[in-house]
Amino acid sequence: MNWDLIIFYYLAIVMIFSSVFAIFSKHPVYTVLLVLVMIIHQAFLLLTLGAEFLTVVQIIVYAGAVLVLFLFVVYLINLRKETKKSIFIRNVSLIGIAFLLFGGLLIKNLLILLSLKPSFKAYLPFTIKEKSNVWWIANYLFKNYLLQFEIIGVILLVAILGAVFLIRKVKTVE
Amino acid sequence: MPALEYYIILSIILFLIGLFGFLSRRNLIVILISIEIMLNGLIVLFAAISHFTKDISGYIIVFFIIAMAAAEAAIGLSLVVLIYKRLRTVYSDEITNFKG
Repeated sequence: MNWDLIIFYYLAIVMIFSSVFAIFSKHPVYTVLLVLVMIIHQAFLLLTLGAEFLTVVQIIVYAGAVLVLFLFVVYLINLRKETKKSIFIRNVSLIGIAFLLFGGLLIKNLLILLSLKPSFKAYLPFTIKEKSNVWWIANYLFKNYLLQFEIIGVILLVAILGAVFLIRKVKTVE
Repeated sequence: MPALEYYIILSIILFLIGLFGFLSRRNLIVILISIEIMLNGLIVLFAAISHFTKDISGYIIVFFIIAMAAAEAAIGLSLVVLIYKRLRTVYSDEITNFKG
């Protein structure tokens, strides 16, 4: 029994089907909850890839902060009277052209990439490392990527101030 | 352990699902969630490449992608609330203020 492959297939199938149902579901609350299912399965996919720290960050930030934010906005905006209409926009041909163009380019690049036959060897995640994953991430983050780390802090600060400023301005206008 | 191609195919499928939702849905909140699905495809790709090449930089990029997604969700949702307060709609084909 190849348990790694079975776990990967389970995680991949649940992720793909939950995101497809999220796109095609009628009410935004179902969309947010299905994306929550996808994000938790993706966190365990990251765990099988040997990134325990990113698993915890993914669950805390995505499932704990971002999707709760989406749920609050869905609750804030009352959409009950307009769920009768179609969920897709009417101009289907334009969507089809753009989607086929972009998806065709991606699949062409995928075929090129697969024809190269990459020779990476797979490693079991718990046998290769002499130090823990958190140690390596902290070492790289605070030595090699310190400037980018500071920049992402400033970006988060600007995002918080921008969100508060945008909402506050409407209240003063009204 | 599955090979690297499986992870690449999974990430491209997730990216295409998110792209389809981004292009075709009317609801602005679902459009933002589609962007999150596309970013999750990128997270799978970077983590798989970082794992298979034994280089930790992909994990760092995943960390930055998660932080950027949080900032993007905050700004995008505040803009959606702003649009709903001004125009009383969140559907992208009913916002026709700039049509001449």
